[in-house]
Amino acid sequence: MQKAEKQDRLATGLILGLAGIAALIVISLVAYLLITGLPHVSWHFLTSSASAFTSGGGIFDQLFNSFYLVILTLAVAVPLALGAAIYLSEYAPQNGWTNALRLAIEVLSSLPSIVIGLFGYLVFVLRWGLDFSLLAGALALTIINLPLLTRACETALQQVPALQRQAGLGLGMPKWQVTLKIVLPQALPGILTGAILSAGRIFGEAAALIYTAGQSTVNVDYTNWNPFAPTSFLNPMRPAETLAVHIWKVNTEGLIPDAAAVSSGAAAVLILTILIFNLSARGLGNYLARRLRK
Amino acid sequence: MNEIALAVQNVAVAYGEKPVVTDVNMEFPAHQITALIGASGSGKSTLLRSLNRMNDEIATVTGQINFHGVDINRPETNVYRVRQQIGMVFQQPTPFPMSIYENVIYGLRLRGEKDRTVLDQRVEASLKQAALWEEVKDRLQTSAQALSGGQQQRLCIARTLATQPEIILMDEPTSALDPISTNQIEATLAQLKEQFTIIIVTHNMQQASRISDWTAYFEQGKLVEFKPTDQLFMNPSEQRTADYLSGKFG
Repeated sequence: MQKAEKQDRLATGLILGLAGIAALIVISLVAYLLITGLPHVSWHFLTSSASAFTSGGGIFDQLFNSFYLVILTLAVAVPLALGAAIYLSEYAPQNGWTNALRLAIEVLSSLPSIVIGLFGYLVFVLRWGLDFSLLAGALALTIINLPLLTRACETALQQVPALQRQAGLGLGMPKWQVTLKIVLPQALPGILTGAILSAGRIFGEAAALIYTAGQSTVNVDYTNWNPFAPTSFLNPMRPAETLAVHIWKVNTEGLIPDAAAVSSGAAAVLILTILIFNLSARGLGNYLARRLRK
Repeated sequence: MNEIALAVQNVAVAYGEKPVVTDVNMEFPAHQITALIGASGSGKSTLLRSLNRMNDEIATVTGQINFHGVDINRPETNVYRVRQQIGMVFQQPTPFPMSIYENVIYGLRLRGEKDRTVLDQRVEASLKQAALWEEVKDRLQTSAQALSGGQQQRLCIARTLATQPEIILMDEPTSALDPISTNQIEATLAQLKEQFTIIIVTHNMQQASRISDWTAYFEQGKLVEFKPTDQLFMNPSEQRTADYLSGKFG
């Protein structure tokens, strides 16, 4: 056999082997979570409240809190990230200042979430007086998600061909109109995909929430739709334990006899939800891109 | 002598420190097709893009560009009004991802025109002027991006016409198209010059000689010669023009 051919086979084998190991780790992790967790997931488990001391409790409040926190965080983070991305992509000159801005965004993305959690505790919870609340949690998660979301939005905007902008300007449209009416609609699939992937990260985040959204769930009234009422399930100023925090808490200081079952069941629900977020991000992105071209 | 649509005086364009167009003086006659020819890098496209301020933020344009007695190259000029009066068609077709109908009336709609009858009439008139109406009249609500390249380019011409400009700038509008589509566009241009003044940049000398009334030859950022097309092609007064036309360039 030729030497070059032999080397090529060796290199290909090595690359395949490494890729296989990486895939195996991920797949076996997900499989383990689902196999150990799914048997504990039942309709009762999903729809009843957690119990403090006895077995047989569910995760309904935590599950709702997680979804609500996703909505609250995206409501704050998406406009901010989109604004920053529009500035960076459409308006910012290419100079030292904007490069510094991009660097700052990248540094922000590598901050450990526990650091952001403690920062949120000091600033949002104590200084701003938000106490342990969904809002404080949403603000901390905004900080975590801002870098990747901004990057996703910027990339989506950059992928709109420059000629589209030129054509708009050539028709006598002001730049803000070109950005809003021509560029943004075409970038929407990418922006939505970024937002849904962020939703997955928000759903799975625990460390940043322990000191911001809190670890306790007050009894809320799911029939009270007034977000300003203290007992309303929509009140963003109430403390709220999310699913990920619940898993952590049950494992570390849980007093219930079925702690292991509850935490693996909750973990299975968590990973399934994130899986659904990711798949729907892909599906929705493709669907919108197709509709746009039609 | 014809009426003058646009007069350029001492215009120079520079990208940063690098001059691309130097000291151009010329008058574009109204209701005529003027072709700008020259090799790549001769500055003809750069000059064209300066005429409706598309070089703002990209290059520095000095000198005067007089349109109806107003210098539109002054900083205080409303560039959006200028671009509505002096439209532009690009090298590549650039349909927006929406229906044929919406593409044509896009400029109008953004200017606040809501009257459905006005919009309908303008769509039909513009598409007829761009010689596209017969091909698309039964599918106005379908996506513009499903059209062929040549149809897309005629749609872009219709979109520019719909804003009712006086002057249409065209930057190599047929260079991305096949010969049949090119013929259709050239035929369209001949019709359009009755209502519009057309300034077209082309790499294709045969195209310039076929469609234009006036031709300007550019070399290294300078206007070498500007004459009625038949005179320039038959009897150039500059040796450099003659060399370029006969392929002895460079």
